[in-house]
Amino acid sequence: MMDFFKDPVLVAAALGSGLPLVSMAVILIFTRHDQRISATISVGAIAISWVCAVYLLIKLWGAGAAVQYQAPWLIADDIVIPFGYLLDPLSLLMLCIVATISFLVQVYSLGYMAGDPGFSRYYAFQSLFAWAMMSMVIAPSMLQLFIFWEMVGLASYLLIGFYYEKYSASQAGKKAFVMTRTADIFFFLGLIILVLGFGDLGIIKMNEAAQAHMLPPYLITISACLIFGGVMGKSAQFPLLTWLPDAMEGPTPVSALLHSATMVAAGVYMFSRIFPFYSQSAEAMSMALAIGTITMLLSSTMAMATYDLKQVWAYSTVSQLGFMVMGLAAGGYFAGVFHLTTHAGFKALLFLCSGIFIHEYHTNDFRVIGKHGGRSLTIPMVCMTIGALALSGIFPFSGFFSKEAILGVLAQHPNKLWLGAGLLGALMTAYYTFRLIFFMVFPQGDARHAAHHDSAHGHGHGEEGGDHHGYVFWSMAVPVMILAGVTLVLGFSQSSLEHFLMSTVPGAHGAGADVQHGGEHGAGHYMLLISAVSLAVGGIVWAYMEFGRKGAKQEGFLRKMPAVEELFARRWYLDDLLRKALDRLVYAGLTNIFTRNDRRIIDGGIDGICAFTVGSGRFFSFMQSGLLQQNLLVMIAAVALVVLFFLFS
Amino acid sequence: MNTLGVYLIIAALLFSLGLLGVLQRRNLIGMLISVELMLNGANINFMAFNRFLAPDPTVGQLFTLFVMGLAAAEAAIGLSIILALFRKMRSINIERAQQLRG
Repeated sequence: MMDFFKDPVLVAAALGSGLPLVSMAVILIFTRHDQRISATISVGAIAISWVCAVYLLIKLWGAGAAVQYQAPWLIADDIVIPFGYLLDPLSLLMLCIVATISFLVQVYSLGYMAGDPGFSRYYAFQSLFAWAMMSMVIAPSMLQLFIFWEMVGLASYLLIGFYYEKYSASQAGKKAFVMTRTADIFFFLGLIILVLGFGDLGIIKMNEAAQAHMLPPYLITISACLIFGGVMGKSAQFPLLTWLPDAMEGPTPVSALLHSATMVAAGVYMFSRIFPFYSQSAEAMSMALAIGTITMLLSSTMAMATYDLKQVWAYSTVSQLGFMVMGLAAGGYFAGVFHLTTHAGFKALLFLCSGIFIHEYHTNDFRVIGKHGGRSLTIPMVCMTIGALALSGIFPFSGFFSKEAILGVLAQHPNKLWLGAGLLGALMTAYYTFRLIFFMVFPQGDARHAAHHDSAHGHGHGEEGGDHHGYVFWSMAVPVMILAGVTLVLGFSQSSLEHFLMSTVPGAHGAGADVQHGGEHGAGHYMLLISAVSLAVGGIVWAYMEFGRKGAKQEGFLRKMPAVEELFARRWYLDDLLRKALDRLVYAGLTNIFTRNDRRIIDGGIDGICAFTVGSGRFFSFMQSGLLQQNLLVMIAAVALVVLFFLFS
Repeated sequence: MNTLGVYLIIAALLFSLGLLGVLQRRNLIGMLISVELMLNGANINFMAFNRFLAPDPTVGQLFTLFVMGLAAAEAAIGLSIILALFRKMRSINIERAQQLRG
């Protein structure tokens, strides 16, 4: 016990990951009725966690080797599964991201959720979310990771369905839960195969064994493919990507958290966590590459056809996740993780900005927000533009650096198809992002008139809603500004981050594709740089021509192709396909068999027993005539028979 | 004529007549009387065996006395049941007592 307190690193890890759980328990048990205290506890806990995470990052910045604390938890014969903390550059970086975004989102929620009847509950779930995610990040074994992975799923289910009185919200929560759960079955199967074949689930051991070629390749391929199933669910990869756009039914700060640092990041994080393991299986890597590419392209096209502010960002999250998976699967360990980092920053920024607009105008439709004078909210508008520039990959915002890193990795890949897909994705990303921005910044038509409407609207909302200098507004604006600042500077930390991350991960070099980072390698790379940026700028200009310039029709090229637009807007009929598959496979197939089993065998068996009982009862009651003498006669006949039997045998 | 066989035949006849009466009479009182006949058939058996075979002459007579006492008790209970039945359905015809028919 004394050792525990003597080691500040262990104390910080335990405190940082454990406090949100304590705060959730305290809120749910004691302070549910007092919203102010609940929020204070939750924000306080996450603030301490953030301090712990930053302390750990600074303390272990130059430590080199991974620090591991663990105690045996599950022991069965030779298989020992420990519980504890694994602190290496990747987990420290991710811990910091999670703590930072959670903290900012919780501060933001003070304003956004003010006056909501479920305020305390909201903060309890936020704490649960933060606890689950942070514990997942520093898990030393795959089983512990899986447990908290499920906790993250639970917390996001609770938060997506936060407005549970609303039918669509509870449906969206269920959809997210069921879809990710379906994928998690594969994850768990992969873990089981790994336990059977290798006998250890420690992340470091797995990676080292895979590196040292101690595992048979087929085992790695099978388990890696199955585990990737979990990534597909969690990180909303094709074909399980439709839950994420629906998940915006939750409060906007939840979407910000869900889309940046927690839920969906968990999948990519897990992928990079056992990256050396994956990199030993070329098959699994190419499967991941293909799925990442399909996801990125599909969701980019979906984002072009929607008019819902949050939904555009949701699709862009899906596509950026696909992009990260592409980067990782092409062997770019650092590129993928770096894009995860920068994406967490600018995507949280975009969602939190959207939250301010939605809070102000009570609509998700960005055309309406633009018409009502959305640009008069200067701070969120500017911050959102910064986020959009980062998302499109424009210098000097953070997205530029990480996108370049991934494209650099893709360029190393022998098959140039992937690079082409990546560049196409960059073009589409810039287009749909700025389609939204131009709708809001340059509304066509009666924008002047709408400005009046704005102030009237604001007052209707609440005493502080329309006041742009009040507590509500600033508690939302300050986190947004911090994130915008982060988005501006984060890109320049690339080389130091790379040095830090690569210091302890020998496995990252295993895939054959040594990780490159931007700008150091010859003319080919400059060509790539120029083409990527010009494509992004091209996308913006394209969007400007269609939506931004004066007198633009604001229709877009898709309007000319209604069939394609319908296809994009209906999400490539993915939902219908899944629905049909569900109907065919589960309802018509499995459920039908089970129903039949229930009706025929179980019900039939019980009915048969009942019918037999009734029938035999009938028979015996027929024999019971109620005549005393008949009974006597039978009795005597029986006795006589017995006597005869004894006489003649 | 004064042999065991004759007594046994008489007893068997008496028992059979009683059995026939129990099975055939529809009148409850008649059935009760027939049961008495069967008991008496058994009594004759006891006495006959006692007279011709048993070394100790008292055992059979004791048995017979017991059976007679038992028959008296049985008749008392039987009659009271018949009375109760009569009060209930104004008849002592056994065919009327068919409530237990399935």
